[in-house]
Amino acid sequence: MKNNIIILGGGQAGIYAAREIRQNDSKSNIKILGEENLLPYERPPLSKDYLLDKKNEEDLYFHSSDVLKNENIEFENISINKVDFENKKLSAKNYNVYSYDSLLISTGSENKKLSLDNNLMNDVYYLRNLEEAKKIKEIVSNKNKITIIGGGFIGLEIASSLSQLQKKVIVIEIGNQLMGRIIPKKIADLVQNTHIEHGNEIILNKQIEKITKKNGIYEILLNDNSLIETDFIIAGIGSTPAVKLFENTNLKLDNGIVTNQFCETSIKDVYAAGDISNFYHPLYERSMRLESYQHAQNHGICAGKNIAGIKTEYTSIPWMWSDQFNLNLQLTGICDDYDEIIERGNDINNGVIYFFLKNNKIRGACGVGIVGKIGRDIRITSKLIEKNTIVDKQILSDQNQKLNKLIQR
Amino acid sequence: MSEENWIEVGSTDSIEEEDLIRFDHQDKTFCVYRLTDGFYATDGICTHEAVHLEDGLVMDDEIECPMHQGIFNIKSGEALSPPACEDLKTYPVKVDNDKIFIKIG
Ligand SMILES: Cc1cc2nc3c(=O)[nH]c(=O)nc-3n(C[C@H](O)[C@H](O)[C@H](O)COP(=O)(O)OP(=O)(O)OC[C@H]3O[C@@H](n4cnc5c(N)ncnc54)[C@H](O)[C@@H]3O)c2cc1C
Ligand code: FES
Repeated sequence: MKNNIIILGGGQAGIYAAREIRQNDSKSNIKILGEENLLPYERPPLSKDYLLDKKNEEDLYFHSSDVLKNENIEFENISINKVDFENKKLSAKNYNVYSYDSLLISTGSENKKLSLDNNLMNDVYYLRNLEEAKKIKEIVSNKNKITIIGGGFIGLEIASSLSQLQKKVIVIEIGNQLMGRIIPKKIADLVQNTHIEHGNEIILNKQIEKITKKNGIYEILLNDNSLIETDFIIAGIGSTPAVKLFENTNLKLDNGIVTNQFCETSIKDVYAAGDISNFYHPLYERSMRLESYQHAQNHGICAGKNIAGIKTEYTSIPWMWSDQFNLNLQLTGICDDYDEIIERGNDINNGVIYFFLKNNKIRGACGVGIVGKIGRDIRITSKLIEKNTIVDKQILSDQNQKLNKLIQR
Repeated sequence: MSEENWIEVGSTDSIEEEDLIRFDHQDKTFCVYRLTDGFYATDGICTHEAVHLEDGLVMDDEIECPMHQGIFNIKSGEALSPPACEDLKTYPVKVDNDKIFIKIG
């Protein structure tokens, strides 16, 4: 049967879903509606290799327009501003109307904005898309002292890149450690030390009271009355799912769009995937929302299968990475539900991993090390989680013993 | 095929099954693998970013990069999973008298 399938949001989850649908359904019309005038592209390099000029715009696209053309996937650059689930229609500002039989929502997330009470709102920059990355890259080229508000992954990655561009970087974080409480304090401290060794200044436990601008220089007043002078301000204070469009509809929302393990929302024929979706994970028996590259890809693929009529449960083990200086940090599984913590390794050169266990099984792990040092162990950990293996803690804690011994064949 | 192009890597028992070793020659790095059906060789650095694949995970016929889990087929070099999208170069391998040789260049 020929269907009209619309994918709202032309990011990573959207493109992977589109191609997966096409693999299983040669007839239906597949159309991606994206508000960025760009084919779907990778965001991770925006805060890293793109800022560093090691990757350029062309390197970021997932696929060329030829691939989409060959697979008969349409991409239209349009911003949707109204959804009518009852009549299965989407509409845009220019009054274009799009009818669908099946809809995938993959609108991703939006950056939280600082609330500033003066007219400096436009002076603070944020990083979510290529356009913003371009602007930041252009402006920082003639700035010296740059302040990053927020010590989360994206803020720290920008701090690392700008430091490598010989900028003086200050990071201001409201919490008492970097990257949020989910990251073990020791790992956060190791990352912090690396930033400091490279000349970045890290300020913890401080809040912004006020920002003022004098002769092109910003003054940031902190809650301990200290004053920071800076040439440029970037904020990375977290993100929220891009759900505004659905707020006055009967689509069930709760920290994103609520979906089951089949990427189905509360409305028939409407699916959601990627950053936007708060999905039920059958292995963890709970819902979660993830903002990660691997998840956007796999969740998109899973949604694509389900839309094409191949009922498929989403069971991927969560995984994400962050690269800062010569460090690679990785998280797998979930790290907030455990009854025991086991540490493996204790220096950054060989890598440090924290395993979070419950009932003698690993639920999640977080590790950091010089590039390459923890990846294999984290990958094996994902497999152990997936197989629900009862693990030998002695092996876990001893870096001289290979973790693949724990995999039951 | 001239004999000189075959470079000795080491003895066959220097690699465990389903594992790999790194082999540096002149200014290049290679990975030499022992799979269930024999020995294989590829470039030693991921095609995505400059990371040594020696720290990656060998599973069946695949090597997974330790940095972003890009996956390559060891026998063909094909990039199988993003963010890796460029194929990995592969090299012929032969075993002679329990010694592994790879053909470079
Ligand atoms: C700077 C940065 C660095 C990152 N680094 C890493 C990393 O190192 N490792 C990692 O694992 N993850 C990283 N991520 C996260 C990862 O990139 C995201 O999780 C992933 O892109 C999510 O994919 P998505 O398809 O859900 O959303 P997106 O890729 O964000 O795509 C959503 C798209 O929908 C569009 N859209 C929204 N609303 C509408 C509308 N009304 N009409 C039309 N179009 C609309 C948006 O403009 C956007 O193009 C990073 C993200 C950013 C921003
Ligand atoms: S460096 Fe190998 S996948 Fe990125």
